[in-house]
Amino acid sequence: MQATIGESKKAFMTGNEIVTWAALAAGAEVMFGYPITPQNEVMHYWTRLAPKYGREFLQTEDEISAGFTVCGAVQAGKKAFTATAGPGNVLMQEPFGMAEAMRLPLVAIIQQRGGPSSGTVVYSQQEVTLTTFGGNGEGNRMVYSTATHQEIFDYVIKGFNVAWKYRFPTFILGDGYQAKMREPLTIYEPQDRGIEMVSPYPLIGKAGSIGVDREAEHLCNIYSLEEELYDVVLQHAEDYERIAPEIIEYEEKECEDADILIISHGVVSRAADDAVKALRAQGIKAGYFRPITLRPFPQQQLRDAIAKSGAKKMLVAESAYGQLYRLIRQEIYGETIPIEGLFMPGVGIIDYDIMNKVKSIL
Amino acid sequence: MSLIKIALAGEGGQGVQSIAEIMAEAAYNQNMQTIYIPNFGLEQRGGVSIAFLQFSDRRIGAPKFNKADVVIALSERAIGRTAGYSDENTIFMYDNSYPIPEAEFPEKAKKVIGIPAIEIANNKLHPRVFNIIIMGAAIGLTKIVSFEAAKEALIHKLAYKFEKDPNLKELNFKALQMGKEMAEASMQEGVEVRA
Repeated sequence: MQATIGESKKAFMTGNEIVTWAALAAGAEVMFGYPITPQNEVMHYWTRLAPKYGREFLQTEDEISAGFTVCGAVQAGKKAFTATAGPGNVLMQEPFGMAEAMRLPLVAIIQQRGGPSSGTVVYSQQEVTLTTFGGNGEGNRMVYSTATHQEIFDYVIKGFNVAWKYRFPTFILGDGYQAKMREPLTIYEPQDRGIEMVSPYPLIGKAGSIGVDREAEHLCNIYSLEEELYDVVLQHAEDYERIAPEIIEYEEKECEDADILIISHGVVSRAADDAVKALRAQGIKAGYFRPITLRPFPQQQLRDAIAKSGAKKMLVAESAYGQLYRLIRQEIYGETIPIEGLFMPGVGIIDYDIMNKVKSIL
Repeated sequence: MSLIKIALAGEGGQGVQSIAEIMAEAAYNQNMQTIYIPNFGLEQRGGVSIAFLQFSDRRIGAPKFNKADVVIALSERAIGRTAGYSDENTIFMYDNSYPIPEAEFPEKAKKVIGIPAIEIANNKLHPRVFNIIIMGAAIGLTKIVSFEAAKEALIHKLAYKFEKDPNLKELNFKALQMGKEMAEASMQEGVEVRA
C-alpha cells in the first residue's frame, strides 16, 4: 500500500484530522459514514485525502446503514471503518451488535457529545456505557479511551490491528474536545516504528470446497436453536476473557503511598494528572489511575493499586453522571474502599475542580 | 514560560477563530506547547463565538479552563458571555468603539482595558482587518509569540489573499502593529485608549 505520511513529522492538527491520517497510515481502504457533529471533519478530511491514496468513501442514508456497510465490507476483506457520535452511536448499536455476533473486525471512532438525545454538539463522556455495553449482547468489544492527540494517532493505528487480529469490534473513544482542538503530535508510518500492520483478509467466499478443502465459515447473527446460540455466546465469552490480558492497557502514577486514588479516563485524565501533581505539592498524597481500555477493563491492576497504596478513598472524576463510576464498581466488586464521584456531565473538568473535590472529601 | 490562558470572544463573523488559529500556529511554529479549542456550538447560526487558547513550554492539561489570564471580548454580548472567565488575575480587554453598559463588565479583573479596534479599523485602516488589530493587541498583552512570528503565521494563513492583492499584506501588518502598540500603551498608562 502506498505510503501516506512518509518521514515521521511533527503536526499541529485537530483530533478529527488525526483520525483520518491515522486511518490512512493504518491502511484503511474505505470509510462509511453519516454526518454528525463533532465527528464531521473525520469524513470531510477523509473525502479530501482518500482519493489521493486510492481509498474509498460512501456516505450512507443513515448511521444504521453506515454500520452495516462496514460489517459487509470487512467480510469482503476490506479494512473499513466508520466514525460517529451521540444519537449516531445509538443507531449504530445494531450493526455493532452484529459485529460482535459475527466476530467482525469493525473499527469505529466515537467522538462523544452531550446527551441524552441530541444533547449538545460539543463535548461529554456520556457514551461510555453505550460504547462498552450497548446493544443486546455481552459487551465483547475493545474500547480505547484516548487522552491526547498523540494517543488518537497511536490508538487508531492499533485499533485496526487488534480488530483484525482478535476479531472483536474495536472502538476509539474520543470526545468533542479532542475532535475539535488542535495540539502538537508526531505522525509516522507504522512500519517505521516497528509496527507490523495486520493485513485484511476475506472472511467469506474463500477458495476451495467446503467439507473437502476447508471448514465452512459460520458467520451468523441468528440461530434457530437456543442451545446453538448458548454455545456461541459462551465460546465468544471464553475467547474474550482469554485475550483480555493481552488487550488491557492502563496508566498509573504515584499510587504506591496514596491516601486517595483519583480515577478518570480520556481527556479528563489530563486534569487528573495535573491535580495529582498539585495536590502532592501541597502535601496531599494523591494517586492517579487511568484505564486506557474501558473494555476489557484493567480490573486486576486497579485492585492491585488499591491494595498497594492502602488508600482510604477513591475519587472517580468524569464528564458524565456516573458511567465510569458504575463500570468501576462492577469491575472491582468486593473491594471495600469508599468511592466518591465528581460527576460533571457535558462539561469539561479541570485540575482545580478535582483538587477542590479531593479536599472536600479527605 | 508558564501557562498562559486566553479566552477570545466575539460575534460570529468577526474572525475570532481565524486569529486564534493563526496565534496557535505561530506558537506551535516556535516549538511551544499549544492548545486551541473553538467553542463550537451553534454559533455560526448567530451567537457569540469563543476561542480557548493555552500556551506553555510544558505539557498542557485540560483543554478548557475556568479563569483566563487574558479575556478579549469584542461585542457587548461577548463581554457578558466571558465575564465569568475573569478573576482578580485577569486582564480583560474589550472594544470601546461603542458604549457598553457598566453591568456587562466582569466583577473581578486585574485590569479592564478598552481599545477602539472597530473604530480604528473602519476609519484608519479597513473594516476587514479589525480582527488583526485584535490579534496584535493579544500579542502585545501576552507576548506569547514574537511580532515576527506573528507576521510569519499571518503570511502563511493569508498567502493566497496576499498574492492576489499585495497591498493587503502591508495593511495587515499595519493593523497588527497598531493593535500591539495600543495594548502596550494601555498596559503602561492604565488608561483607556481613545481613537
